[in-house]
Amino acid sequence: MRALSIASTGMLAQQTNVEVIANNLANMNTTGFKEQRAEFTDLLYQNVETPGSQTSSQGTYAPAGIQIGTGVKTGATYRITTQGDLTSTSNPYDVAVQGSGYFRIQQADGTDGYTRAGNFALSPQGQLVTQDGNVVQPGIAIPANTVSVTINAQGQVNATVAGNATPQTVGQLELDRFPNEAGLNAIGGNIFLETPASGSPQAGVPGSPGYGTIQQGFLETSNVNSVDEITALITAQRAYEMNSKVITAADQMLQQTSQMAQ
Amino acid sequence: MDNSLLVSLSQQLAAYRSMDVIANNLANVSTPGFKRESAKFEEYVTHVAPSEGQTGQQSVSFVKDAGVARDISQGSIETTGAPLDLAINGKGFFTVQTPNGMRYTRDGHFTLDANGQIVTSEGYALQGDSGAITITPDDQNIQIGRDGTISSIVNGIGNQIGKLQVSAFADDSALTKQGDNLYSTTQTPTVAADSTIKQGALESSNVQPVLEISHMIEVMRAYQATASLSQSQEDLTRQAIDKLGAMPN
Repeated sequence: MRALSIASTGMLAQQTNVEVIANNLANMNTTGFKEQRAEFTDLLYQNVETPGSQTSSQGTYAPAGIQIGTGVKTGATYRITTQGDLTSTSNPYDVAVQGSGYFRIQQADGTDGYTRAGNFALSPQGQLVTQDGNVVQPGIAIPANTVSVTINAQGQVNATVAGNATPQTVGQLELDRFPNEAGLNAIGGNIFLETPASGSPQAGVPGSPGYGTIQQGFLETSNVNSVDEITALITAQRAYEMNSKVITAADQMLQQTSQMAQ
Repeated sequence: MDNSLLVSLSQQLAAYRSMDVIANNLANVSTPGFKRESAKFEEYVTHVAPSEGQTGQQSVSFVKDAGVARDISQGSIETTGAPLDLAINGKGFFTVQTPNGMRYTRDGHFTLDANGQIVTSEGYALQGDSGAITITPDDQNIQIGRDGTISSIVNGIGNQIGKLQVSAFADDSALTKQGDNLYSTTQTPTVAADSTIKQGALESSNVQPVLEISHMIEVMRAYQATASLSQSQEDLTRQAIDKLGAMPN
């Protein structure tokens, strides 16, 4: 009786589906979060009779054959990298990317990470850092006696220092883009890492062709659509329930079998 | 040996087979591009010697697997918003290159790989008119038209990248399922006419849960009926042994 194991693969797949939906909903208010979706593929087929096998010496063929499937598996959980909405925060160190590209940051171990979450702050040394204290690359130091900071669409950081009316350029934000954004490895903390699937990062100046522009005083919200997620959740729950019904039915048939031999 | 027990056995094996097919349909209720299947059976007639008091040949019918029929009707088209999610409305399959040769799929979820090629989630390259399709990071705003033409904007200028190869076959039901939503065949593909491509959407599985659940109940009941038939047959045999074999006092 394969039905039992087939239905259990169906239940496992729907469980993964619910987990992915739960994570999307949990991150509804996470800055720069990109929703994920689980994708399913069918498992291998057992060929009892191969389609097109000959059924007589007169050249007649089985039109369909007998192929019994063995269930379903999770093919991938992929990230949908559409733009999230921008919300105004009025904080001068909050920057949002409108378009493609990731900010490059240096993690505590010295390796590079990439993020869309532009809720930056200043370190005690006046450096532009993420909420976890990772330094934004290339490093930008804001002078101690700065009155105001402006970041333009091209990522140029200008600071107005006390006693000097003319703003001075203190740094330039860069964006990195990847041949395949969906192949980045999410490690939590809104940070992504480069993988063989994502391809190598290509750094560029915001606003140049193919790169997004910078919006100061805004944050990119998560692109999770709550209505979509709830609909998906209902579908997943029902699918789970139906697979459990198959297990019950198969179990009843087996019970009947064992009762026959009394 | 009693033929009725053997006939019941053939029916019970058929019920198991049906149950497996239904379980696979329900397990794949959210697999994009999945086509539901149903087990088909045929009568297998065999001739037996006439029983006591009868003349002429008698025939007994067994149940035998005939095939698994695939329902190739269109699944509903569900919007996802991902630019490389494609759905075919109408006949035809996307063509992908695998290490084992060309394979065909209705699952239109594609991504880019590290080299910018459009690939399936297993990393197999989607085929266009002239082989694999490569998107460079300079290609912005990728558009895939209803006829499968892929275009983008490079530095503000329109750029045509290629056209999807949508393959159609004379006999869709003769394609062999390979798992991973792929089909293989020895038939020569032709270019699918009249089918349209929708970007940002996926074709969902065409499994109808209500239908499958009612089939499942049907199979279960048929199995129970056959089981009770075998039971009464056995009771009959036991009674005969008890009655006829009773020692006369």
